Amino acid sequence: MKHSHSKIHIHTLSCGKVYEHLCDNLDSQLDSESCRKIKAHIEGCTNCSALLDSLKKTVYLFKKYPIPSVPEKSRKKLFAVIRLEKTKKQSLR
Amino acid sequence: MTQTPDTHTDSALIAKVKKGDDRAFTQLVHRYEQTVWGFAFKLCRDKQKAEESFQDTFINVFRKIDQFDSRSKFSTWLYTIVANNCLMHRRKRKLEGLLESLDDAPDPENPEVQKQLAAWDDSPIDTMMNKELREQMDAAIQELPDEYKVVFVLRDLEDKTAEETAKILKLSVPAVKSRLRRSRIFLRHKLHGMMAA
Repeated sequence: MKHSHSKIHIHTLSCGKVYEHLCDNLDSQLDSESCRKIKAHIEGCTNCSALLDSLKKTVYLFKKYPIPSVPEKSRKKLFAVIRLEKTKKQSLR
Repeated sequence: MTQTPDTHTDSALIAKVKKGDDRAFTQLVHRYEQTVWGFAFKLCRDKQKAEESFQDTFINVFRKIDQFDSRSKFSTWLYTIVANNCLMHRRKRKLEGLLESLDDAPDPENPEVQKQLAAWDDSPIDTMMNKELREQMDAAIQELPDEYKVVFVLRDLEDKTAEETAKILKLSVPAVKSRLRRSRIFLRHKLHGMMAA
């Protein structure tokens, strides 16, 4: 069970400090001493854990946003322009 | 039309392009077209602007391929060109007010913030991607200053490391981290209305 924020002082880190670091890498598997402290804080702090979760959801939504494929007409237009560029380059030689 | 198998390394293809090999250039375009298009679309959020950026990027590659010295990855060079294109296409905005709002970190101890966070917890995120949400996401990301948006897109949507992002944008790693942090918080704040609905 997660503790309320008032019970996390044993972790010695403030929520503000955690906020600064939890944004660096939302799914961090880092094992440094400071990362372990941050993880311990998040596990014990309902609010920081909820904030992290909401940030992850934000990123997840943007990742899920459908990206269209390259339209065929854009590809054709590109190669037509490149042919023109090539002709221009050759005529300058 | 049958295409030859795409087995060359980037360096081999680039060497051929430098010698004027059209087929090698075509292969290079096919290899990276979705990367360039996708990145441009994520930045511009508009098909027409993505199209312009797509064209400009590969035309730049064609014109400047001799300047590419293979010391960095070709994809890094491409990302730099797309980012510069997109940033150049957009008018510089006055950032002061917006940057202040980007600095507003949520205070998890504030009861209002706690209420907001509860709303996020209850949202069925996998079934939410409808037109209304997409429009809200477009509007939110368009409000981000370009210098921040490009960091968010590279780090979180293109999965580049902080170091790669710094190299592409010629920024320091701490600057990348700081802009990413502000961008995520800003976007989360902007999408909150949908979560609470």
